[in-house]
Amino acid sequence: MPFVRDCEVLAHQEVAADHYRITLAAPEIAEQARPGMFCMIEVGSGYYPFLRRPFSVERIHADGVSFLYKVEGEGTRLLSRFRAGDTVNIQGPLGRPFPVVSGMKRHILVAGGIGVAPFPALAEAIMAAGGTPEVLLAARTEHLLIGARDFSRMGCLVVLATDDGSCGIKGTAVDLLKQELGTGEGSVVYACGPMAMLRAAHETCLAAGVVCWASLEAHMACGDGVCMGCVVPANRETEAERMARVCREGPVFDSREINWTACP
Amino acid sequence: MADLRVNIGGLLMKNPVTVASGTFGYGQEYDEYFDIAQLGAVTVKSLTLQPRAGNRPPRLAETPAGLLNAIGLQNVGIEAYLRDKLPFLRKKGCTIIANIYGYVPDDYAELARRLESEQGADAIEVNLSCPNVHDARSVGGCKLVAQQPEAVLKYTRVIRSATRLPLFIKLSPNVADIVEPSLAAQEGGADGLSLINTLLGMEIDVKTRKPVLSNLVGGLSGPAIRPVALKMVWDAARAVKIPIIGMGGICNARDAVAFLLAGASAVAVGSASFRQPDTALQVIKGLEDYLEEHGFSRVTELVGALKAE
Repeated sequence: MPFVRDCEVLAHQEVAADHYRITLAAPEIAEQARPGMFCMIEVGSGYYPFLRRPFSVERIHADGVSFLYKVEGEGTRLLSRFRAGDTVNIQGPLGRPFPVVSGMKRHILVAGGIGVAPFPALAEAIMAAGGTPEVLLAARTEHLLIGARDFSRMGCLVVLATDDGSCGIKGTAVDLLKQELGTGEGSVVYACGPMAMLRAAHETCLAAGVVCWASLEAHMACGDGVCMGCVVPANRETEAERMARVCREGPVFDSREINWTACP
Repeated sequence: MADLRVNIGGLLMKNPVTVASGTFGYGQEYDEYFDIAQLGAVTVKSLTLQPRAGNRPPRLAETPAGLLNAIGLQNVGIEAYLRDKLPFLRKKGCTIIANIYGYVPDDYAELARRLESEQGADAIEVNLSCPNVHDARSVGGCKLVAQQPEAVLKYTRVIRSATRLPLFIKLSPNVADIVEPSLAAQEGGADGLSLINTLLGMEIDVKTRKPVLSNLVGGLSGPAIRPVALKMVWDAARAVKIPIIGMGGICNARDAVAFLLAGASAVAVGSASFRQPDTALQVIKGLEDYLEEHGFSRVTELVGALKAE
């Protein structure tokens, strides 16, 4: 059950150029939140932007939640101006979380750029269930590899890649996945990043016979299954289900549920 | 406490506040935030005879103080509505306005008949004005029924003959004169009008030099269109005898009062619910406060009470 709450900003730091982490006091939301779920944040009090913005939960604490985001447009630019002590209105938690699949030998988390956003909470949940997450982190350049040290400190195995080769291998998140997946035996993959990356991760996993849980991003109006604005083409027989709502059926999908060839 | 009850063309509502079709799903999602039975009525998303997948994404573009959408009437269809969605609304005790969409007059008539015979609605709102189900690529687009008064008359007559439920015709603001289709709906036997649907609009991404919406154009809603909607309600209200449900950018009780003063007998909250799910409930509370503050004993006293020279 989601809530709409005014929350105090506990901390708000720039973690890399144009990338921020905001931590909010929200005990009820924290109690209900699961890795992969998201919240709709009201980024301003006026009529522009008119809509809230969706953000995946980065970490779930006892008394609140944090979000990792990149300034992309007007909404995130406004959000970046909030300071510790300010109040921000959030709605959530919403959406379908990552399943923490038990009994697997390997839990492989693949992140492209700001796609790392939902993974700290997921890594914690996997560790709590006795697994050791392997985090494959890729970004444009070294300073955009967000959270690499945190994952290592947490006890995850971390492998890095950058487009420019400034850190780790020179390549993409999917290059890393291909390198690390091996036979794929006993593995489950969790992926988050741009659509092209998710599609490539899906194809890689499909070829290896590995299940890939992909967290999708979409523009949303309501975040709550009402407006039908955030849909993605799905592999469903019936007309009514041919477009799946990222906010309700997702944002986490078994990648085989998505009709990747029909995606824009 | 002031009397909030209204009678909209035979539909009794405990207060004059409903929600705009397409902004409230089939009610269940927002019932997690507040008791939706407190609304004067729940207006459900457009229903078609067969389920519809709707348009390809992207379907949304946010614009200053508003939202452009090109959903394309994605809906579960009448069958699944009656089977899966209606029982929840009935159990809650909601007053239901079912919005319907068809390709030809007989589709609407069939939908109206089924809704009446299976107690699927307490009133019917006829969508003659969806801007998102036609191919926008043809020059000038495709004319909506609501843009042709003689077609409005024909459609309304056919649907009227199919049902005795209160019948509201939802019209398009994309016309030179809202009075003409309003009079046509009245002549065709409508019990009320829903004004307005979205305004046609467009957004272009200059980086890619492509339209933002896959359907190229969409319907604009939100506070950006409120003054346009208000003027159209005012125009129509002076020309027709049947009641009007006013909608278009209503975000709070003050907005709602303005629509009532302009001549609407009820109002619908639309896109504002996306930002704040209980907006319609706050509008009801704010309306009570307004009536009390200004010494009105009945909300109906506000209808058309605009002081204009």
